[in-house]
Parts: sequence; C-alpha cells; structure tokens
Amino acid sequence: MITLPPTEHDLQAYVDHRLAADDRQRIDTYLAAHPDLAAQVRAWQQDAQRLRLALAGAESLPANPGLDPTLIRQRMRQQSWRYLASAAALLLAVSIGALSGWQAREMTLSRNTLPMTDALQAYRMFAVQQILPADLRVQQGSELQSWLDRYFDHAHRLPDLQAAGFKPVSGRLLSTDQGPAAMVLYEDASGRRVSFYIRPPGPNNTLLPRGSRRDGELQAEYWSSTGYNYAMVSPVDGPALSAFKQAIGPAI
Amino acid sequence: MNALDEEIRQLLPRLRRFALSLTRDASSADDLVQSCLERALSRWRGKRPEGDLRAWLFSILYRQFVDAHRRARRYARMLEFFAGPAQNEPSVERSVIAQTTLQAFEQLNPEQRALLYWVSIEGLGYKEIAEMLDIPIGTVMSRLSRARQALRQLSDGEIASPVLRRLK
Repeated sequence: MITLPPTEHDLQAYVDHRLAADDRQRIDTYLAAHPDLAAQVRAWQQDAQRLRLALAGAESLPANPGLDPTLIRQRMRQQSWRYLASAAALLLAVSIGALSGWQAREMTLSRNTLPMTDALQAYRMFAVQQILPADLRVQQGSELQSWLDRYFDHAHRLPDLQAAGFKPVSGRLLSTDQGPAAMVLYEDASGRRVSFYIRPPGPNNTLLPRGSRRDGELQAEYWSSTGYNYAMVSPVDGPALSAFKQAIGPAI
Repeated sequence: MNALDEEIRQLLPRLRRFALSLTRDASSADDLVQSCLERALSRWRGKRPEGDLRAWLFSILYRQFVDAHRRARRYARMLEFFAGPAQNEPSVERSVIAQTTLQAFEQLNPEQRALLYWVSIEGLGYKEIAEMLDIPIGTVMSRLSRARQALRQLSDGEIASPVLRRLK
C-alpha cells in the first residue's frame, strides 16, 4: 500500500495504470484535493495518449521484404560462406606458397621438382572435398570460356571433352605465388570430375615440357603454351584420361 | 527455427516503429532493425532468452542504436576538431518551439525516448525495462519521471531543447 502524499514513482505508476485498485483510488482521492498536481498528472496522461496516436500507426510503414528473418538468415549464411571461401583461398595460396618455396629450395639443391602441384591441390580442394562454392557456375561451356578470357589473354581454349562425356560446369579463381590462377571443373553424367588449370609461369618464367605424372589417386597432364602453364587433373582410373590426351595432344 | 522466424515476423512492425522513434529516419530505422535481427539470429542458440522475445529484441536494438549514436558523436567531435565547428547554427526552424507532442518527443535524448516508448506504447513493465537496461527498477522510475517532465516542458515550450542549449 502506498503512503500519501504519493511519491514521484507512485505517480508514474498511476499514469501507467500499474497500481493496485485500492492504491489507485487513494491517489484519485488525493488528486481531487490537489488540483495542481492533478493537472500535471492529467497532462502526462495526455502526452502518453498523444504519443500513442502519433507513433503507433503501423500501417504507415511501407513493407520492407529485406527485413524478413528467413532472408536475413540466408544472407548471413552466404556471407559466412564467402568469408570461409576467401579464408580457404588464402589458405590454399599460403600452402602453395609454402610448397613452392620448398620446391624452389629443392630446385637449387637437386633440381628435382614436381610440376603443377598447385593444380593437384586445387583439384583436391574443390573437386574432391568440395568445401568451397564455385565463383561461376554455368549451363553452357562457352560462358566459362569467356569468363576465362577475361582473366587470361590468348589462353589455350578449354579442351572439348564431350567425347568422354565431360562438360565444363564451374570455374574458380585462385591466388598463387606464381600469379593468379583459374580452375575450370568438368563433370560427366555420373558426377565424375576433371579439372583444367591455368596460371602464369611465375616470376622465374618456369615453362614446362609436355609431361604427366601421378600423385596418389590423381593423374596430372601438364604443358605450357601461349605464355601460361596448364594442367589437367583427373582420377587415375577415370575414362577422361584418353579423351584429354586426344583433346590437348594435337593442340600442343 | 521457423517458429522463431514467424514470431519475429509478427514483431517486425513494432521493431520498425521503435527504431523509427529512435532514429527519426525511415531508412536508418530499417538498417537498425536489420542489424538488430542479424545480431539476434546469430546469438540465438535454439534456446529462448529469458523472458519475452519482444523485450529481448528491443534491448538489442536499443543497445545497437546507442553504440552507433555514440560512435557518430565521437566522429562528429573529431570532425569538429579538425575542420572547425559545423556551420549548422541553430536555424529559425530549429529554435521553433515544439508544437506537438511528437516534436517534443523527438527532442528528448534516446534513453528518454526509449523509456517513454516502451512504457506508453509497448506497455512493457518497469521490471522488464530494468532488466533490459540492466539498471535498478527505482532508476527506471526516476528516469521515466524525468522523461515525462522533459516532454511536458518541451511541449509547453517552457525551455529550449537540450540541442539548442548545447549549440548556443
């Protein structure tokens, strides 16, 4: 129960209808005898009423679909994917960098280097583990060709592997310490993947003789032409290998 | 998850109105709502925060507004330091005495606006507000009382707004 005269806090609670019925009545009685205070309280009540009228009009707000929680959730997921993707690209760049550094050292020691290790790494990262989304996903192989042409001048055309059932489906840009690289993934109807990889020959202009090598379960075909180094990576047991050789063989 | 989204969707108009009462600008109000929801959704761990979802969202939104406001003021002070005081002397319009309750309301400081909004429009309880702002309930009451008096005085034109006093 409140005591009279009412405190500042009691009056606020009175304005907001937060008093028990009997307390409310006591204040009513008190205010009846104190017109000045009553006028003040009434003015507060009016202010609250006017604020409600002025601010509570929900219909005046135009719809904003961008604020839908489901959409915001999606956007946040995409953002974190992008963040992850750039973090992983950085990781790849760093690990290739470290390897290349090691290779450079090896090279001076024994001249025994493994060409296009980065192409194999990129394949493992994007085609095998699929931890990253592609930069570009297409229906038509020709779109990927023009995408590639934006970054690499007069590069080797994307090999046509239709004969083996492979079509180019997605592309991704990578950074390596040899320069910017790109990988185009081909897929066949049963989801098998092969990659076409291109990058500059690097600061030492390391051009490669035509060659191939096996690395674990993967096979890499590599060569240089028109100022770039290339690799095509596929699983060792895949049917793509011979199609590759046919597709690229005469071009080199 | 979808149940939560649905609940938030229901609360959206109220969040937007509250944000508008703080920012006084529709597009920054929606920006504020968006960053509030991003924060809320990223903090949500499938567990209901204690108490009311509405109060929880309101308090996140308010805190973000206050932080942004503080940053903006710091930035403005820094600009002033390097570039000299801004040229927006109190104009005729600005010194016009508030003629409506809404105009008076808009001259209150953000905390006073939030308090009046929560109490008078959203009907939140004092205890709830005390928890949202993490202050004792008596402090909520005193500040509410001061906010009401300030609103009254501004509406009556008894005093110049605090903005004007600072600029003069």
